[in-house]
Amino acid sequence: MKKVGMLLVVVGVFGLFAYAQEPQYGGTLVIGSSQTFKDMDPRICNDVYSMYVINAIFDELLCLDPDTLKPAPYVAKSWEISEDGAEITFYLHEGIKFHNGEPLTAEDVAFTFNWIADPANASPNQTEFEWLQEVVVIDDYTVKFITKPDWAPYAPALLGENYAIVPKDTVLEMGDDEFNVNPVGSGPFKFVEWKRGDHITVVRNEDYWLTKPYLEKIIFRPIPNLATMMLELETGGIDIADNVPAQDAKRFMDNPDLGVVVQQIPSLSYFYLGFNMSKAPSNDIRFRKAVYMSFDATAAVDAVFQNLTGLRAYGAVPPALWANDREYLKTIAIQEDDEQAKALFEELKAEGVIPAGYKAVVYCPPDPRRIQISTVVATSLIENGVEAEVQPLEWGPYLDLLYRSEEKPEGEYDMYVIGWSGSPDPNAFLYYLFTSENATVGSANNFSFYMNERVDTLIKYAGTTLDPDIREPEYVAAQRIIFKDIVHIPLYHYIETRGVRARVHGYKVDPTASMPIVDPFTNVWVEQG
Amino acid sequence: MIAYTVRRFLQMFIVLFGLSLLIFIMLKMTPGDPAVIMAGLGATPETIQAIRDKLGLDRPLHEQYWRLISGLFNGQIRAVTYHTSVWGIIFERLPATVELGILALIIALLVSIPAGLLSAIYRNSPLDYGVTTVALLGISTPVFWTALMLMLILGVVLRILPISGRGETIGIWSFVTWDGLRHLIIPSLALSSVLMAMNARLTRASMLEVMRQEYIKTARAKGVREAMVIVKHAFRNAMAPVLTNVGLQISTIFAGAVLTETTTAWPGMGRLMIEAINRRDEAVVLGLALFLAITAQIGYLVVDLAYAWIDPRISYD
Repeated sequence: MKKVGMLLVVVGVFGLFAYAQEPQYGGTLVIGSSQTFKDMDPRICNDVYSMYVINAIFDELLCLDPDTLKPAPYVAKSWEISEDGAEITFYLHEGIKFHNGEPLTAEDVAFTFNWIADPANASPNQTEFEWLQEVVVIDDYTVKFITKPDWAPYAPALLGENYAIVPKDTVLEMGDDEFNVNPVGSGPFKFVEWKRGDHITVVRNEDYWLTKPYLEKIIFRPIPNLATMMLELETGGIDIADNVPAQDAKRFMDNPDLGVVVQQIPSLSYFYLGFNMSKAPSNDIRFRKAVYMSFDATAAVDAVFQNLTGLRAYGAVPPALWANDREYLKTIAIQEDDEQAKALFEELKAEGVIPAGYKAVVYCPPDPRRIQISTVVATSLIENGVEAEVQPLEWGPYLDLLYRSEEKPEGEYDMYVIGWSGSPDPNAFLYYLFTSENATVGSANNFSFYMNERVDTLIKYAGTTLDPDIREPEYVAAQRIIFKDIVHIPLYHYIETRGVRARVHGYKVDPTASMPIVDPFTNVWVEQG
Repeated sequence: MIAYTVRRFLQMFIVLFGLSLLIFIMLKMTPGDPAVIMAGLGATPETIQAIRDKLGLDRPLHEQYWRLISGLFNGQIRAVTYHTSVWGIIFERLPATVELGILALIIALLVSIPAGLLSAIYRNSPLDYGVTTVALLGISTPVFWTALMLMLILGVVLRILPISGRGETIGIWSFVTWDGLRHLIIPSLALSSVLMAMNARLTRASMLEVMRQEYIKTARAKGVREAMVIVKHAFRNAMAPVLTNVGLQISTIFAGAVLTETTTAWPGMGRLMIEAINRRDEAVVLGLALFLAITAQIGYLVVDLAYAWIDPRISYD
């Protein structure tokens, strides 16, 4: 009798456990964002925070397989690439409806992408579509992307979260401004209200074509003060925090009774110290090498990020992506060597490469972590005989400085610390940061103005095909040249760190820094009661 | 009095014109291209130029100024980064700041004036020392720290109040709902801490000054009860400088609650100003600055008119 009783208890416990883990319909998820939301129109939205909301309201042509980081079907159920690689034809799911009942067709897809690609519309996302000639409607559910003659088509260019599909007729009727504040999508959640500065509310789309979302409602709350966000996370005022500082991550990990699970993943980001290779002394590889030798980059990154939220970088392509070549690039990374650094600086001074009275200025944006790392660099230079200082600038003047001017095309900076994030393809990092085409006065991404024909050829050739077996060796070769040339001192890849209340299930932190709630791979639910 | 009021309104326009010019010049002198900031990192030169053309940023400065000012006065100018009119976004955020400011001021006055009064009456007593010490702490403590401590104690430890945000609203107001009122308490207490500290010290100093006057001695000599001496004779005269300070605080509250609003995620005009500056939305920055200036001018006028009501010796005719 006693044994039967025990068995019943065990079965009961397992039963309860199984019951507790079954996804539940209903409930509200509250998501905290560390920045205020700006735009709800995916055609112009270029900030990752607004994309949290856009991802819930709109559907995208493709999505990202979270395990392989490769494009996966979404609104497009399949696609074909022409033999010459100049055209991609997408075949759309039928029966998808926007929240106002209008069907989603190829017209809407063509309208969305042609609008973004048109420079006259001044979309901040237009850069991502420099390769696009035109999007053409073949029939109601077939659409063709035609590339410009000297560009290669590749599906990863469409993977940025920005490329959700808007309803053409609705947008034209409402006007761009009105649509931006009252968005109409086809996604798993419908827009309800936007109390600017306070919250955005969306509710379940009961007619969602893909799957029924478990959640009844999502509330997105901008909480600009991180300390406040951590208090809200701890008390359950929010369920997901999009940014958890290292010290709080540690606290939550060490105290599971607080009910917060810390999820981490290396993000698709790359932060670095760059040199202005248009003028002395940074145009001399000995100077760049000496700066690199002056400090221990690994120790600096580990200290600033407390071994938790930053991963030392050795190349520009994040470790989550293919062609990162991390193991090799680690072997050519320069180690700290103060003696040799001092000797090199003396040699450069004797030759006049470092002029008398020279002061190295390390520019950086108003980010405490980048200021700390810049301070390490400047302090190390001083210790090795070169006067140096750190100059943090607000983003406006910082970009003005790095973009240069017609009056001073060589730029007025030596060294700068900045970051870059891109879509899940090596081209999104290497093409923009290191090719000559991206070293243009007035607007640049290659702020070092690094001009290397061989690197240009390798990167552009890799962009002419979708075959990773052909592309990878080109990108690997290009990176090896770049980092042997010490164009940048690679610093870190940010580790995306999110805090998630234990009642939230099915949520997985994403390396692209998005907020996937419902898509072909995800359907987040919350325990209720 | 009417003539005086009209003169003050005319002066206001002159002040606003000068202020608008000053702010415009400061905006133009601030490093950083607004078109570059709006376009974001990695934008093409064509995109940046298209934004410049749309906003007229390449036009001569006097044309840009006229476009902004005329657009603000006729309500046509857009808050580009908010996709609505400038006055639309300002008035959208105004109720939150009004609620916060008024409740903070009420709390501050309800606490500081009696505290200052008692402190003055019982000068050099433990009560006096207590009030002056707390007041000094209130002035010295950064408001964001006070807000964080209130959130920690009331929101995390005791769990009796929500930590941040505005809560439910009916129409544009949140204080009319129980949830909204609960959300309003922590930011109001935080903001009031600075206000009450200053008002308490000023009330105390002003009362001490007034109670040294001859007419107070005369009233006492005539046998007037002490309570009447304080309330009827001393208090009313002592309130003049306090009233001036409250008038100044009204305009400060509208503009200066930035730290409180940011720490408590309160969606008011202080946060709007910071957002607009970061986004380089010049129309919003200028519109908000002018709105705050108008508020301040009206506040000062009300204070000056109230002086005449409090003190019959003062006349503006």
